[in-house]
Amino acid sequence: MKKILKKIRLPIKIIKTQIREHFYYGFRLVASMMTTIARCGILLILYWYVYRLNNGVINGTTFLFAAWSIFFYFAFLTLQLRTIAKLIMQDVQSGNVEILFSKPISYLSYRMWWQVGSGIYYFLVTTTLGVIALAFLIGFPTTMKIGVFIPTLILTFFCGCILSLFIYSIVGLFSFWVEDINPIYWIVDKMIMILGGSFLPIALFPALMYKISLFSPFGAANMVTHTVYESWRTNWYQLVGVQLFWIILLGLITYFMFKKAKEKVSVNGG
Amino acid sequence: MNSNSITVSHLTKKFTFSAKNSSASWLKNLFSPETKEIVAVNNISFSVKSGERIAFIGPNGAGKSTTIKMLTGILFPTLGKVDILGFDPTKDRKKLAYQIGTVFGQRSQLLPNLPLTDSLEFFGVMYDLSEKEIKTRISELVELFDLGSFITQPVRKLSLGQRMRAEVAASLIHKPKIILLDEPTIGLDVVAKKMLRDLLLKINKEEGTTIFLTSHDVGDIESLCNRTIIINHGEIIKDLPTENLAKTFVYEKYIDLVAQDNFTDFPLLPEGISYLSKDINKITVVVDINKINVQESLKKLLTLFKVEDIDVYNADLETVIRHIYEKDSQKN
Repeated sequence: MKKILKKIRLPIKIIKTQIREHFYYGFRLVASMMTTIARCGILLILYWYVYRLNNGVINGTTFLFAAWSIFFYFAFLTLQLRTIAKLIMQDVQSGNVEILFSKPISYLSYRMWWQVGSGIYYFLVTTTLGVIALAFLIGFPTTMKIGVFIPTLILTFFCGCILSLFIYSIVGLFSFWVEDINPIYWIVDKMIMILGGSFLPIALFPALMYKISLFSPFGAANMVTHTVYESWRTNWYQLVGVQLFWIILLGLITYFMFKKAKEKVSVNGG
Repeated sequence: MNSNSITVSHLTKKFTFSAKNSSASWLKNLFSPETKEIVAVNNISFSVKSGERIAFIGPNGAGKSTTIKMLTGILFPTLGKVDILGFDPTKDRKKLAYQIGTVFGQRSQLLPNLPLTDSLEFFGVMYDLSEKEIKTRISELVELFDLGSFITQPVRKLSLGQRMRAEVAASLIHKPKIILLDEPTIGLDVVAKKMLRDLLLKINKEEGTTIFLTSHDVGDIESLCNRTIIINHGEIIKDLPTENLAKTFVYEKYIDLVAQDNFTDFPLLPEGISYLSKDINKITVVVDINKINVQESLKKLLTLFKVEDIDVYNADLETVIRHIYEKDSQKN
């Protein structure tokens, strides 16, 4: 127990420090929240209108399901886990990586916790407000009231976090070899956005795209968007299994890439 | 004072990078680019005793920072071995990090948006200190580094001098046995430089911390370090007590001649004497005392110039170091 507490002391400190920084600069949080609410809100209004034009049902799904699915995507986005790629690139390009490499920490896990810390407050506030607003405005679908929903939502959420951190860390680690990772980042990010259901709810995906969304790591990173649909009740263990498969595979890739990256470090002035 | 803190043997670091060949196709450049190799550090060996204060100096691109980064485990050597306090930085980087402190003058390790106290607490946790130890150490550092007046200010609002003091304090939170500083006084004004040097001397005396610094500032070397290692083109060219550094060029004397009226012409000087600067009010000459002694030179100069005042002096440390760099560059 003492060992575990010692291990989690630094991650807790990182998260606390980041939350403190958010409190210190409260306006930033409000601005970011307003942006997310605006983006998510506009999409919801558009889909509400599209569903109404189609007598409330598209592809066998109602707006209630699509709205919660879109909301889960945006709530997950507020964790800002994708920023880890850019942060690693900045560290490598600015040479800041040498400071963190000289500390008694693992650079990559430090950066992962840093990323979790920088988004968690924003995530908690936005999600809480969003859930209250949606519950009040449109209510909960029946699928969110079954017993398996909350535990599997939490499980797939954590798996999604880990998977996202691995995917974006791999993108970031490319900066040890490639000068500008922005094109790679752009491709991966857009894949995740599209396959995760940010522009179009996954229930409206064509069959092939739906399969890609289920079995690719990009879609698997946003499996939370699947939890509101009827199919989740019977398929959740398969979908979480897909997530676990990608976590193991991408975790290994991240580990070996980072190992190689450490030997590749080269910063200005040495 | 007798045990070695740092032992470096035959350390070499080569950097390879791909270079675009303008005559080759883009496909060849993409998949099979030409590579170039730079030897940043070439087969250097030295050792540092506990409590020593070492200046590791050299011109830009000499290999100073690369060496410091290999000592801390940030860079992996191509060849050779480093032993710091019994640790191999390539294998025991984390364990070593608990024993050493690092300051990179051009980069900040502090949390920019939060008060300094948050950074100090943060590093305390990072170095596994207990809450009580963190509190005690912070108050020690606040007193030692006089941080009290700005400890509650966000780091980004600190002046450069205050920030550098804070950087050094943060790197000492875990009472390291060695502190490695890469150009710690860069950009500081004279007052801030002196304050920082005094503080480093103080921690060396009071806590026995070994100091290993790279700097371009002669003041850092003169006032802080008892030993100087000069590196150029990746190789150690001098390793000697700092006080002996000035004696390296004792065969050169400098003579300033101040004009009685104005110097109108500048005749050819006798062998062993050469102009360093020529001005209508003042001439500075360099005398090679292996060829002509000071007394003889003065006699000859006084027959050539009408002077109001004369000043004879040795080269300052900056000139000595410049000479060493120049001589080494000519050799290469």
